[in-house]
Formats: sequence, structure tokens, C-alpha cells
Amino acid sequence: MAIDYVVYYAEKLKRNPDIFVQQKELIESQMQSSAAFFSGLFGKDFKAEARAYLREVGLL
Amino acid sequence: MPMGKAYSLEKDVLVIHRELTQLDLFVRDFVEVLRKHIAYLIVSGFVSIAAGRSRGTEDVDVLIPAVDSATFTLLFEELSGRGFWCYQGDTAKGVYPYIQEFAHIRFARANQVFPNVECIPITSEKKAQYFEFRHPQKMRIKDFEFNIPPLEFEILYKEIILGGEKDLADAKHLRTVFSDILKRERFKEFEPVVRSHGH
Repeated sequence: MAIDYVVYYAEKLKRNPDIFVQQKELIESQMQSSAAFFSGLFGKDFKAEARAYLREVGLL
Repeated sequence: MPMGKAYSLEKDVLVIHRELTQLDLFVRDFVEVLRKHIAYLIVSGFVSIAAGRSRGTEDVDVLIPAVDSATFTLLFEELSGRGFWCYQGDTAKGVYPYIQEFAHIRFARANQVFPNVECIPITSEKKAQYFEFRHPQKMRIKDFEFNIPPLEFEILYKEIILGGEKDLADAKHLRTVFSDILKRERFKEFEPVVRSHGH
């Protein structure tokens, strides 16, 4: 029978809060990558360029 | 705090035993302003992530009331002063029509696009959202206390209404982590409310 990794992880986490440390690393790594990507993507008029991008991807 | 457990229930507050992440700090800074002006409810992905689900997110969904123009202006100006920008516009006057039309608006930190807080104005006609908004559960991580839906409601909403792969995994995570405190009678009570979504 295949392992359900969502349940496996949640069961481990439930009894061992140290696993939160790995979760924090994953979340912060994603946030740092995103910030680096978008700071390089847009120039001086950040909001205007960001809005143009958001329109393109359907978020505005 | 009990050792070796991911959470505890302290006077009806669900306390998660972990450090704050940068995502929590972003949400905390936003909610600190929001709660000074209006009621709110954090829903969906952030609830599961706050409870340890190991995934990132770009949006933090927050239900808000469709407030009057004067309240919205005060809120908007304080958010701007605290370093948040709104995707939909730079002035309260320009953005308020979105609230009037119950359209979603998004805020991010200055010079960043993600993560963003997606503010979702609610109306009493949306019975499920209106119900959860009026029945908040407190969750706390360190000094950050915030409102979420009742866990059973959040799980059912993900399973019945949203139903995507990510949502079902979030629901499964919540069911497993909180299996000791979830109540069958509350699932029964909430299911018809959740199914009334959009009615």
C-alpha cells in the first residue's frame, strides 16, 4: 500500500514540533526567491510595472 | 506548554508551538492594522500552513465586511503608511468601488508582489462565508493571535466547496494534526451551512 505523505508528515508533526523548523525553512526560502525574482524583474516604477505584469497573469 | 505536541488548546485559543516565519510576520503586520478598523477572518491556505502544512503560498485570503467609505479610507491610509501597496490602486477613493462591488482587493509589501493579502468583502447573501465570519476561532503563534474559521468548518469548506488537490491535502493535514480535538457533531452542524455556499 502506498504511503500517504500528507498524513505521514502530519502524524510526525503532531508528536514532534521540531519538524516546524523544516517548514519554516521551506516557507522562507520560497519568500526569499520570490522577492529576489521580482526585485530584478521590475525597474524604478515598481508599481506600474508590477501592475502591468499582474494584468498579464490575470491577477488584476 | 506540553512537550512533544504541535499545539495545545488554551482557553479556547488554538496555540501552535512553533516560531514565527517571515510569512507569519507579513500577515501579523497586516492584521495589526486591519483589526484596528474592522473585523476579519483569515481563511484557506494560511490556516493549514499556520498549522504546519509544508507548502508555500502566494495569497493569504482574508474575509472582511463591506465597510463604509470613511472606515475604508482610514484603513487604506494606515496600510499605505505601514508600507503596504494595493494592486488595485493608490488611493482609497480609487479602490473603494471594488469594495462596493464585493470585488477582491490585494495588498503586498512595498516593492514586493508576493505574498499578498487578498481581502474578500463578504455579504450576508453568501451564507457560508457569513457564518464562518461570525464564528471565529482564535489561533496563536507566539505573540501573533488571529481569527480563523472553526476547524471543522475550514476542513469541510476545502473538501466540499474548493475540492482541488491542494485543498484536499490541506484538509487531510488539518484532520490528522487536530484529530484529538475535532468534533463529529460540529462536522454535522456545519456541513449544511458549507453546502449552502453561494445560495
